Amino acid sequence: MKRTTFVIMTITMMLALFSTISSTQDIASKTPSSEGTIQSITLPNIRIELKEGEGRVKAETYCNICHSVDYIIMQPKANRAQWTASVNKMIKTFGAPVSPEDAETIITYITVNYGTGE
Amino acid sequence: MSGHHFTRRDFLKTAGMFTAMSALGGVPAELFAAAEERMLARYPEKTDLIVLTARPPQLETPLKYFRQLITPNDALFVRWHNANIPTSVDTGLWRLKVSGNTEKEMQLSLTDLKTKFEKLTYTAVNQCAGNGRSFSEPRVFGGQWKNGAMGNTTWSGARLKDILNAAGLKPGSKEVTFNGLDGPVLPSVPDFVKSLPMDKALEDDIMVAYEMNGKPLLMLNGFPVRLIVPGWYGTYWVKSLTEISVMTDQFNKFWMNPAYRIPDTPCGCVEPGAKPQKTIPINRMTTRSLIVEPEAGAKLKANKPIIITGIAFSGGYNIKDVIVSVNGGKTWSKAALGKDLGKYSWIQWSYTWKPTKAGKYTLMAKATNSVGESQPLDKGLWNPSGYLWNKVEPLEVTVH
Repeated sequence: MKRTTFVIMTITMMLALFSTISSTQDIASKTPSSEGTIQSITLPNIRIELKEGEGRVKAETYCNICHSVDYIIMQPKANRAQWTASVNKMIKTFGAPVSPEDAETIITYITVNYGTGE
Repeated sequence: MSGHHFTRRDFLKTAGMFTAMSALGGVPAELFAAAEERMLARYPEKTDLIVLTARPPQLETPLKYFRQLITPNDALFVRWHNANIPTSVDTGLWRLKVSGNTEKEMQLSLTDLKTKFEKLTYTAVNQCAGNGRSFSEPRVFGGQWKNGAMGNTTWSGARLKDILNAAGLKPGSKEVTFNGLDGPVLPSVPDFVKSLPMDKALEDDIMVAYEMNGKPLLMLNGFPVRLIVPGWYGTYWVKSLTEISVMTDQFNKFWMNPAYRIPDTPCGCVEPGAKPQKTIPINRMTTRSLIVEPEAGAKLKANKPIIITGIAFSGGYNIKDVIVSVNGGKTWSKAALGKDLGKYSWIQWSYTWKPTKAGKYTLMAKATNSVGESQPLDKGLWNPSGYLWNKVEPLEVTVH
């Protein structure tokens, strides 16, 4: 199994597990309770894609766990140090499950394709 | 569609089809190539809004809606922090839990909020802390909003103070925290929880709102109830509010610290590019104005009067005056102010101008509130997060 495939599968399983846990906080059910009504919306399935380039799959896979990749695309041109700080924030502050090697790949991909290139 | 070269015009034309298109596949990255090419999409209960981010949704209001004194519900901007946002709420099961350092714990239903507490109504501007961030120079990371992360809405609901008093505050109460139904995708990501100091939470005008412009809240704007902290930035206006907790100490988690902080300086700003020595939680909105018509780049006719219109507001004080310049700030004239809906609402203003000579003109507007707070002319307030943006923005038009 390719490493990327393995990573995607692991993440998918992890998310499935966590969404089961977290769904208990949603105050919703299929049938309305006696005194209330159910308000529901269905969010559009908008998938934003990154540019082709070395590391694109890893960037899309990991970043999409928590947010669409327009979070990257909309940012002002930034250098490698700035993108390193940003990716590290995702890992250290938000706990994104990204290995140091994959973090390097993602930082390089973003800096080259959406940053100043260096 | 990838490979096709899009112009801005194509882009806006296809925007209506966007939701359908995106359901079938990805949105090509080329569509984001230029900063000006901003994508429109229609989210549930909303009209076509500018998509900053698809998930969690951050949707900006197009400028044309600011021609209206009250922002239509379906055009109000949307901003969530964590992607696990509420999409279904059973109002029979939903409760607002009030607990912590209180005499009793309460589980209020929507009916309780509507029937057991006095109904409060006022009009207030909701504005994202990062509205205008994309104008910061040097640029900063974050949601690259232009001017559309704001709106003027008539809110109705129960007074927060009345709810807290019903629960009974115990001695030693220091802060109140607010949590909504939204949650993070990963358990390691901090839940979006905000706090207010006790004296702020007990102010008469803070509201748990269950109506926007006389209608139930839209899901993406915080159904069934949200906190309204008029005069303060939208970060405190916790959506889909479900937990209020009274604390005996300072709440210091991620979304209060280090997020949403401004330099502890009189202007909330530092020298561009500098790191603040000390920060405090962001709070009141700065005073600002916006030219709504004509739009940037408009082509006007000489000797034909044109009405320059716009809006102005400040963080909880009435707007005293708005001045307008048609020559890049060399001379200024007073604008006429519209209907006054109170100190938390924006006010519309207008100025009639009859250009006599062809050429390029730079229009500007500058608001001042009743305590003298105004807008910077030459250099915008700068801080590392791009908050408090309120610089007088030059708008170029051409007269033929």
